[in-house]
Amino acid sequence: MKLTTREDKGIVILEPKGKIMGGPDATLLHDKLHELITQGKKKVVIDLAKVDWMNSTGLGILISGLTTMRNNGGELKLANVTEKIQSLLTITKLITVFETFDSVDQAVASFK
Amino acid sequence: MKKVIRKNNQIIIPSSQIYLARVDSFVEGKLKKLKLDKNQLADLAISVTEAVNNAIVHGNKKDPEKKVTLRLICEKSCICIEVEDEGKGFDLNSLPCPITEENLLKEVGRGIFIVRSLMDKVDFIFKPDGGTIVRLTKYLKNKE
Repeated sequence: MKLTTREDKGIVILEPKGKIMGGPDATLLHDKLHELITQGKKKVVIDLAKVDWMNSTGLGILISGLTTMRNNGGELKLANVTEKIQSLLTITKLITVFETFDSVDQAVASFK
Repeated sequence: MKKVIRKNNQIIIPSSQIYLARVDSFVEGKLKKLKLDKNQLADLAISVTEAVNNAIVHGNKKDPEKKVTLRLICEKSCICIEVEDEGKGFDLNSLPCPITEENLLKEVGRGIFIVRSLMDKVDFIFKPDGGTIVRLTKYLKNKE
């Protein structure tokens, strides 16, 4: 998995790419989310457009990011959720926990 | 055990998560030849990484002396993937349900639940002399 970061209107947008399956790669996203908290950046969108799939480790990282952000007064939202990940979120009922948007622009706008 | 052993449709890895990507590449390479649809491939890949991760972490407790063996069995009507560890096994009935309200925000505990959702059949074989085999079965579309 590769991870790029950018900002739009004060919102941090994380763009993971590839598969999120656990192991050393997965810690990239986990560590980045926790780094953002220490920097005081608490409004985050994860753009999942380029994520082929993720397993339960990936879902665990998203939950960790969400709860960490919320516990620090922030919020984490998901954009461009692919069909496969949407299916996993539905199976696990996590779809009821995350705010999801069809585009990054919509996710960014939702913070206002 | 310190290295990966590949032989035909079998791969043996040490008990470390750093080898997860190697296992995924191995399985993907083998399954590509079967011309499965993208969704079936993803279901199998996700389930394999779940089973192997469980074997490494929960089965072998990341003991570097213990190995995880994956066997791929391709038949006309289905694909079976066996993941074997050298651990002491576990009680299937003791697994907490990850979709209950109290467990929904837990970061772990969804692996087997997801595998059971994505595969057509999941068997757990607890060997009397130690070790657990998880057998994942996916029936192929358009075949009996």
